[in-house]
Amino acid sequence: MAENLQEDWLDARLRDEAPYIDDAGFTTRVVRKLPARPVRNWLRAMILLGLTISASAIAYFVSGGGWFIAEGVTRFALLPLPVIWLCAAGATILVMAGGLLAAISKASSRSR
Amino acid sequence: MPLADADLVARVLLDDDHHAFAELVRNHQSSVRGLLRQLVRTDVTLADDLAQETFVRAYKNLRSFRGEARFSTWLYRIAYNCFREEARKRKELVGIDEAQLESEHDPQTTDPALRHDLAQALQALPLHERSAVVLCCQNGLSHDEAARVLDIPLGTVKTNVLRGREKLKRALAAWGPN
Repeated sequence: MAENLQEDWLDARLRDEAPYIDDAGFTTRVVRKLPARPVRNWLRAMILLGLTISASAIAYFVSGGGWFIAEGVTRFALLPLPVIWLCAAGATILVMAGGLLAAISKASSRSR
Repeated sequence: MPLADADLVARVLLDDDHHAFAELVRNHQSSVRGLLRQLVRTDVTLADDLAQETFVRAYKNLRSFRGEARFSTWLYRIAYNCFREEARKRKELVGIDEAQLESEHDPQTTDPALRHDLAQALQALPLHERSAVVLCCQNGLSHDEAARVLDIPLGTVKTNVLRGREKLKRALAAWGPN
């Protein structure tokens, strides 16, 4: 009997020792530390597409119908063959490096 | 009507809803901070930093919460892991910011001297017994839940609670009911 009383008394005291701790800005601090919400993939794709179309349209009208592109292509075609090959190789390396960097950054963000 | 933990978790997972997560934090901050304060035995600021880390980790790993245990049990497990990592870094976490703890107690509920003696007796327990007593007797976890939080066998939890309580009873014998 006395043993039970002692048990009940101890339980009650232990529960008293765990009072409610006032939030006092704790939740706000936690929410501030949460990682930012990622932009949804479809939204990102739409933004990129919109920007690309707008930029192309502006460039087309500002340049007076895009005549400089035709002129640029003609000039490029008249370059010596080794230079064209060099340009193609350079462009390929650039694109591959970009892809590699993107893959590395994605892999490292996943492992974190 | 307040939403249940499971609904709030679903909202966070579906819409990345920070408001829903804030609600979860509000619901559980007191018990998680209380647990860490008992475990850390050092300044309250460190315990609160660990509690903050606990909730940020919970947010990042929410997809791994399968709802098999209570959300609070899952949180306690993360909190205990945060504490263990910190303890490993610091080797020993001793001392307690009693002044700050005292200031947050309701002075009407318990005799201050008894509160002091109980706090001292709890702090004197070895970590494995203190963790088990705090989880089971203060936070109301079952032995099974505490075993999952502490990642130890059920029998060990029962033994630790029993031994811890015996030591507390001996330490507080003068205060007990006559």
